[in-house]
Amino acid sequence: MNTPGASGTLIGHLIVLSMISFGGIPAMLPDLRDYVVAGHGWITDQDFANCFAVVQAIPGPNMILMMSFIGWKIGGLPIAIASAFATFVPPCAISFVVFRWWERFCEARWQGPVRRGLTPVTIGLVIAGGYVMARASDVGWSSVAVTAAAAALLLMTRVNPLWMLGAGAALGGLGLL
Amino acid sequence: MAYPREAGQTAPRVTLPALFGTFLQISMIGFGGPIVWARRFLVERQGWLDDQEFAEILSLGQFLPGPNVICMTVCVGSKFRGPAGAMAAVAGFILIPWTVGFAIGALFLHYTQIALMQNIMRGVSAVGAGLIIATGIRLLRPHRSRKIASLFAALAFAGLAFAKLPLLPLVLVLVPLSIAAAFYERPIAG
Repeated sequence: MNTPGASGTLIGHLIVLSMISFGGIPAMLPDLRDYVVAGHGWITDQDFANCFAVVQAIPGPNMILMMSFIGWKIGGLPIAIASAFATFVPPCAISFVVFRWWERFCEARWQGPVRRGLTPVTIGLVIAGGYVMARASDVGWSSVAVTAAAAALLLMTRVNPLWMLGAGAALGGLGLL
Repeated sequence: MAYPREAGQTAPRVTLPALFGTFLQISMIGFGGPIVWARRFLVERQGWLDDQEFAEILSLGQFLPGPNVICMTVCVGSKFRGPAGAMAAVAGFILIPWTVGFAIGALFLHYTQIALMQNIMRGVSAVGAGLIIATGIRLLRPHRSRKIASLFAALAFAGLAFAKLPLLPLVLVLVPLSIAAAFYERPIAG
């Protein structure tokens, strides 16, 4: 599918989605899937699922890469690059403006409770994100043990997490998880 | 090691190349959740932020569109070096890692059906989950004397992990309550 119309429409849609992607890029995936697979038939469901699986296993800004792969399948390399920009430029611009405002607000005397109240909720959500990921990859007690061991090692030792990820990849590759 | 900065101490001197390089590294080795690596580099290695500042910027990201780590990149760059800093940090985070990731990913897309690959991904993701949980626990430490903070962290965890509530409404309900509770708390030193 290499029509300029399709590419332009995709970029426009990505810009809108990235501006309303509260809760991160994963929150925009269901809508995007409806749009490119069901709505326009530009790529297949399998293509979409593969793009998602692959970006989980590679380093780098993985959700931006996922949008690039979808753009690549629809319009080649130029659209891949345009899709990346459409995904990160709007959130960057919004973050910049809001942070400016937030820093001024931080100088106010009454901000202490706001800052103390804001962070625990975020921290709970971070831990929940880890928990959900653990459930998704969980096929038995051995992968629960690996998750628990990684958490304990990071909290109690100074082992570089890259070694832990390497060990996880090896255990998985050997079919032990 | 991280050395907590005293109140009134000047912010660390951060150069544009340091911003570019640090966010390049966070992005390149960001397997298993960029938050894990962002905290490791920004708090532990560089000492640019303390745990509380890190958690605050992360919280700000909850209310903004896009990946939280993109918001953090823009905010940290902007905090130390203004617009140029934000651009240096974002360029570090995206330029090279995007190019490398795109090349590797294009290759991987041909081999997604292989069972070995799926097993490896499962192992990486089990470890990644543990790293994220531990990072969250570390961020909670500045609040360990506050029972109310643990309560709201637990509510947010349960709401997302067990009740599977949608993120935005959950945040919009819990955050005002948590802030209100902090207002009525006995003031903490500092």
